[in-house]
Amino acid sequence: MITIENLIKRVDTSEGELVILKGVSLTVNDAETVAIVGASGSGKSTLLGLMAGLDAASSGEVILNEQRLSELDEEQRAVLRGQLVGFVFQSFQLLPSLTALENVMLPIELKNDRNAREKASQLLDRVGLGERRHHYPNQLSGGEQQRVAIARAFASEAQILFADEPTGNLDSATGAKIIELLFSLNKEYSTTLVLVTHDERLARKCHRTIRLVAGEIVSDESNVDVVAEAISAGTAHDD
Amino acid sequence: MTTEVRVAVDGTAASEQQPVQAQAMTLATLLRLALRLLWRDWQGGELRLLFLALIMAVTSVTGIALFTDRLEQALLAESANMLAADRVLSGRDEAPSEWIEEARNRNLRTAETMSFGSMVFSDQGNVLVSAKAVSSEYPLRGKLIVAERAFGAGAPIDGGPAPGEVWVESRVLPALNADIGDILYVGNAELQVTRVIVQEPDRQQGGMMDNAGPRLMLNTADVPATEVIQVGSRVSYRYLFAGDTQALANYEQWLDERTNGEFRLRDVRDESAEVADALNKAESFLMLGSLFAVLLAGVAIALTARRYAERHFDYVAILKTLGCTSGQIMSLYMSIQVVLVIVAIFIGSFLGWGIHALILQALQAVISVNLPPAGVTPYIIGSMTAIICLLSFALPPLLALRKTSPLRVLRKDLDDNTLGAKLPYGIGLIGSLVLILWYSQDVLLTSILVLAVLGVVLVLSGVSWLLLRSSSSVGMKAGSAWKLAMSATRRRRKQNILQVLVFSLTIMSLLVLALLRTDLIRDWQAQLPENTPNHFLMNVTEPQVPGIEAFFRQNGVEPNQFFPMMSAGVTRINGETPILRRDDDEEQSNLTERSASTEQVAENAEAEPGEQERPRTVSNRQVTWTSRLPIDNQIVEGQWWGDDAQPGFVSLEDDYAERLGAKIGDVMEFDVGQGRLMEATIQSLRTVRWDNMQPNFFIIFSPGSLEGMGGTYLSTALMQQEQKALINGLLQQFPTIVVIEIDALIQQIQNIIAQVTSAIELIAFLVLACGALVLLACVTATLDERFRENAILRTLGAGRRLILSSLCIEFASIGLIAGVIATVGAETSLYYLQTQVFQQDFNLHYWVWLAGPIIGMAVIAALGVMATRRVVNTSPLTVLRHIG
Repeated sequence: MITIENLIKRVDTSEGELVILKGVSLTVNDAETVAIVGASGSGKSTLLGLMAGLDAASSGEVILNEQRLSELDEEQRAVLRGQLVGFVFQSFQLLPSLTALENVMLPIELKNDRNAREKASQLLDRVGLGERRHHYPNQLSGGEQQRVAIARAFASEAQILFADEPTGNLDSATGAKIIELLFSLNKEYSTTLVLVTHDERLARKCHRTIRLVAGEIVSDESNVDVVAEAISAGTAHDD
Repeated sequence: MTTEVRVAVDGTAASEQQPVQAQAMTLATLLRLALRLLWRDWQGGELRLLFLALIMAVTSVTGIALFTDRLEQALLAESANMLAADRVLSGRDEAPSEWIEEARNRNLRTAETMSFGSMVFSDQGNVLVSAKAVSSEYPLRGKLIVAERAFGAGAPIDGGPAPGEVWVESRVLPALNADIGDILYVGNAELQVTRVIVQEPDRQQGGMMDNAGPRLMLNTADVPATEVIQVGSRVSYRYLFAGDTQALANYEQWLDERTNGEFRLRDVRDESAEVADALNKAESFLMLGSLFAVLLAGVAIALTARRYAERHFDYVAILKTLGCTSGQIMSLYMSIQVVLVIVAIFIGSFLGWGIHALILQALQAVISVNLPPAGVTPYIIGSMTAIICLLSFALPPLLALRKTSPLRVLRKDLDDNTLGAKLPYGIGLIGSLVLILWYSQDVLLTSILVLAVLGVVLVLSGVSWLLLRSSSSVGMKAGSAWKLAMSATRRRRKQNILQVLVFSLTIMSLLVLALLRTDLIRDWQAQLPENTPNHFLMNVTEPQVPGIEAFFRQNGVEPNQFFPMMSAGVTRINGETPILRRDDDEEQSNLTERSASTEQVAENAEAEPGEQERPRTVSNRQVTWTSRLPIDNQIVEGQWWGDDAQPGFVSLEDDYAERLGAKIGDVMEFDVGQGRLMEATIQSLRTVRWDNMQPNFFIIFSPGSLEGMGGTYLSTALMQQEQKALINGLLQQFPTIVVIEIDALIQQIQNIIAQVTSAIELIAFLVLACGALVLLACVTATLDERFRENAILRTLGAGRRLILSSLCIEFASIGLIAGVIATVGAETSLYYLQTQVFQQDFNLHYWVWLAGPIIGMAVIAALGVMATRRVVNTSPLTVLRHIG
């Protein structure tokens, strides 16, 4: 579960102090999918960064699975990220000097898992890139790179997945396939998903859509169809 | 590597808290990842320059250290030949036998020689010879070269003459009308001539008295039989020692303690000022060359490591988002550096060995001694250089990497100021200082180098700020190449200042070495030009002068100027008694000055060190009078009298006048012997080139000043090997004159100078290679930004020509500024180096003021355009995709 309490982020600019987030509070439950939408500069990427512990807030609190991030330094946050969090970025952020397989193996290796190679191979098979595991990122298309990034995000067996404009660099057809893959894996791994997007279609696939304007939440709506689908799936499952 | 944090969550008991525990990345995982990154970075070319810079540092330092180590040994060995030993103890009296016994007990080899003047007779003639009795172990270093007949070709031989035998120089035989196998009478001893001496290793040692006249060599065992050595006889005793350096040092210390420093073992540097000077200057040059090589390789490492670090920001940010801690990141990059440095040390040591072998191969012709194998010290020095360079230059930017914010994965625009922090530069500066000081062990040289670099940095900061100061112009001014270039120069002001700094330092280093090399070689060549006279004629009376001149002319030898000479002492200056410190008095003492008086030579050569600091009144000097300014003398103050000279004037050597406290117009009183006093007014001050093997004088009187007061004449002559027999005819015709032969000494000095000249040429070449690497590293350092910018410009329709011209102008202007600063820096450094370290006269190198900036401009423009021209040959899309 992610809990955010009165989160404020200020930065100093040449024209004085700028408040990017103005007291944001929200809660994301386990296995919930949440889309944060808003115009450019609304503070959504900053919010994602703070929630994932990539940056420290000016004030307020982020609690990830009962860990208060404000009480952790960068080193401890890094440890927490390694244990809890996975990422998918707009610009893929694959290590250019590693092959697709090595990129996916990396988070598994960081956990000293001896089966890194097999697990990574399985995940690459799962995202449809089994044949291209030995290709380097610059030998892959944008869609393929993002699939590798998704495989890497799930490789660490993270409980929470943060995605920053995961389809932002892709054409709509490829973007649609990536969304499908992301949500399908998310469902498979029962991961909590927080994604930042401009794409309303993508947002509508999440349980909730939180709208940010100028650093403040102006709406927090449940996507009824998705929730209903989830409830029915859950009921069916329960049955 | 385990971090555990327990975090209290509101409303939860401590037992319910979730631990945040870092999993330790195993060494194997770390190494695997490090090696993978290393391999990929290598394949991607990112590490190549850094690796190359490291290898260059190890190669140049190991190569130079190996070379200087072995060259030093070669030069010392060669020089030891001039002494026939490693160390010499000399004196007018016999040394106590326990001293020699002690040396033998310390496993030192010993030999002894006794030199004295003596008449030698044959059945048909007689001649004054410089006799030298040698023990059977003589010589300890070098070889005697002997022939089977007079003026015949020689071959080396072990040991000297056996008891009952004498060996003589060729011209003794015709002078005595004798031949090999004949009996010669030395005092009361009858000795048989068995060989002819062609070359004797220590022919010039032991004072001029030992070298007046041709050599006759006998065994020390025969000396008592000659009965020529009586109480009061003038004999030079020389005790020769050779052996292990440490054993020699220990023995020196033993002797020093025994005699309270009264007797000192002397090496070639003590014995020959000319050789010592050449050796010291060559060593300083080699040291300076290797310091520049280290410094430049260090700068190349710093630049390439910085670029490597910059390119890894995103990398580290991603690793951090994946959960890597700073400690793990540091371990990762440290592992990469360790692997890199180990490989670089291996390759660099191997290449360094190769380079030194190549240099030695090139010098084979001039190094005539067998070189001992090199020790491990040069390899240790090379390895330490790589490690210190990496620690001080490369590690700071790499350490800064660990502070990279993981937020970079979301915000590319995030500026990482960590690399701009002052601390890394501070570490680099201190590191290089320690390296230079440790390497050179020379505080003066290090200070000059550091001050020069600091000076350049200071001047640069001001000049660059002024020149590259941004006007309030907006935009890229993409209309013309010139405007585009200027706008680019201003926009990249920070990087450009760094580039100008690096270019300035590199060009400055190369200029300093090139100019110093040229000046040193020029000085050496001027010191002993090809036709340097190789014989001194002394004790010539005035009536003999025309006869000697005629003799030379008849025999195809060009007679040189005859200097009248007499002994005179300064008694008063402007009525006051002058005081001169003895060490100052002796300071300029050299072969030619000494040659002015055989008596004085003998005294000077045996001046005891303990006496040197004692102030004393001015000693007698050999003075001359002439209307012609002697060769290599330059008037620095006042005027030379010329042909219409009036009596009563004197010209002093500049430094001598300063030590006496005398100036133009002062009236000096001289004691010219037998209580006669005379006065003269100082009319000019001169600089004198003491090392030119010509008659040189501190004090020269105007003609007529000393006329009628007696004295003899001194002159020089150049006689080739085949003309040596002329000396016999000369001595037969003028039996009272003394001929001193210095041809062997000149030959030896010329050999040593030829060696060191070749050595410094090669070192200069090595440093040039380092310089080229730095320039390349520096241009490459800003390549990404230029690529991106120019790719965008091309996308927007800028033509190939516009971009290339703009790049050319931008680099040329940077090169021009760097060239100007480098020239100023080089001349300033040279001033201090030449006056403080190399004891040379400093003159501005006017052509460099033009050539420096032009070369800077041309080289940097060419390098810059060559490195970046790919941007116009690759599609903009490829460039943008590649750089991201």
